[in-house]
Amino acid sequence: MAGSFSRRLLTATRYALFEQGRNRLALGLLIVFVPFWYYLTLLIAQGTALDFKYWATGELLHVDGGNLTLLTAGLNAITLIVGFMFFASTGKGMQFDRRLVLSGYPQAVLILGKLIALVVVTAVVALYASLVLLAFWHGGHPTSLPLIWLGFWSAAMIYGGLGLLLGVLVTNELAGFFLVIMISLIDTSLQNPLGNPVGNQPVLKELPSFGAMQLEVAGGFTHLVPWEYFGLSLAWFVGFALLGLAIFWRRTHARSVRAAPLAAPAGTASGMASLSITGSGDQALDENIHTC
Amino acid sequence: MSELVLRVDAIHKSFGRRKVLQGVSFDVAPGTLVGIVGENGAGKSTLLKILAGELRPNRGQVFRRGALGYCPQQVILNDALTVAQHLDYFRAAYGINDLGRADELIEQLHYAQYRKVVVGTLSGGTKQKLNLTLALMHRPDVLLLDEPYQGFDWETYLGFWELTSTLREQGCAVLVISHLFFEQKRFDCLYHLQQGQVTQEAPAHLA
Repeated sequence: MAGSFSRRLLTATRYALFEQGRNRLALGLLIVFVPFWYYLTLLIAQGTALDFKYWATGELLHVDGGNLTLLTAGLNAITLIVGFMFFASTGKGMQFDRRLVLSGYPQAVLILGKLIALVVVTAVVALYASLVLLAFWHGGHPTSLPLIWLGFWSAAMIYGGLGLLLGVLVTNELAGFFLVIMISLIDTSLQNPLGNPVGNQPVLKELPSFGAMQLEVAGGFTHLVPWEYFGLSLAWFVGFALLGLAIFWRRTHARSVRAAPLAAPAGTASGMASLSITGSGDQALDENIHTC
Repeated sequence: MSELVLRVDAIHKSFGRRKVLQGVSFDVAPGTLVGIVGENGAGKSTLLKILAGELRPNRGQVFRRGALGYCPQQVILNDALTVAQHLDYFRAAYGINDLGRADELIEQLHYAQYRKVVVGTLSGGTKQKLNLTLALMHRPDVLLLDEPYQGFDWETYLGFWELTSTLREQGCAVLVISHLFFEQKRFDCLYHLQQGQVTQEAPAHLA
């Protein structure tokens, strides 16, 4: 059935994925920008040693600065690209989504489709960034590539949620992109001990990608799986996404009572659905209604 | 009265201090072609948005019977999807199983060759045709059209009126809003929207 929940969810998810796939600029940035950034950061930081506060155990890790900077570079690239992708698609697509809702598409299904697409797209982006990272990692392998992927995925989901939130709040494209860039810059650069030598302060725990960065470092240099930081990242993602989707819900809401025929006021054909009402439903009808 | 598909009852709408609609009332019967004409800024699009459920009036009521088709003035499509994908998306929205009516409309409006083309690369006129198709593909009982033929070439413009007259014969009520009507004789009923209210005008062929 075309109107069934599963069919509609599949359709909404498929086209949300399609839309992201057609964002050539974002794909180009992902393919070219990520390895290029890895390469540049390696040029700058290779051979240095850096200390990084690993909050899961509280110890100060003494690690290869090049490899650590690769992780922060990946984080920075992913947050920018994913934030841009979801800001662009949400802002541009809002009126179209509203039209779909007015045509009968259940809002909840449309929103669920967008969420599923976000989770899938960010997982793929994180996988690509993780695999490319392997090519640049030096002195062996990271201790757990899946954990690095989990860190990248967490960060990508958070910025997907942030992009969605900015997409429904900010109508000016330039302002939205600028906000994504500034938030990502502050968030990720402060956590890089190369750029911020005092970057082991507790205040960093308040940054959106703090948990993601801890996961990445765990995957790069330790044998621990700090699930609590995955939970923290999920909380940021859920917070941004829920807020964004709640505003999306409000903005795309159709002001109609579709299927529920009202008790029509006197003079109205029985069975006519009330499309929009203000004041009391039994107010007197205008006696001067024009009729052909 | 039982024949009505749309009743607009004393609609009021203000934006801040600006009163746009001040008691708009009219009825629409099945199989009629109704036109609403008004100057720029008279509140035509606001009225249509209220009828479509996009905007809530400050006061007044709208009653509708049957399925609604709505073609907004601004072409609202997704540039990343193809024509065929739009049809599939709206098939799911309307909950219909077949695209038979959409196929007929595409043939009638002469843009079948663009089915697999991404909408972002289409001309303004072709986008407008798709905009119209999406409003009609579920065989609505009431069709609301806001400046529907902007961007159409002459042949498509004539095709549009042919399509409208077929819809009317099939019992669909069509409400067209425009700032200018060259084809007044085609309408069963014409209203003039000015100073927030509608006044009935005799169509040219009845005057």
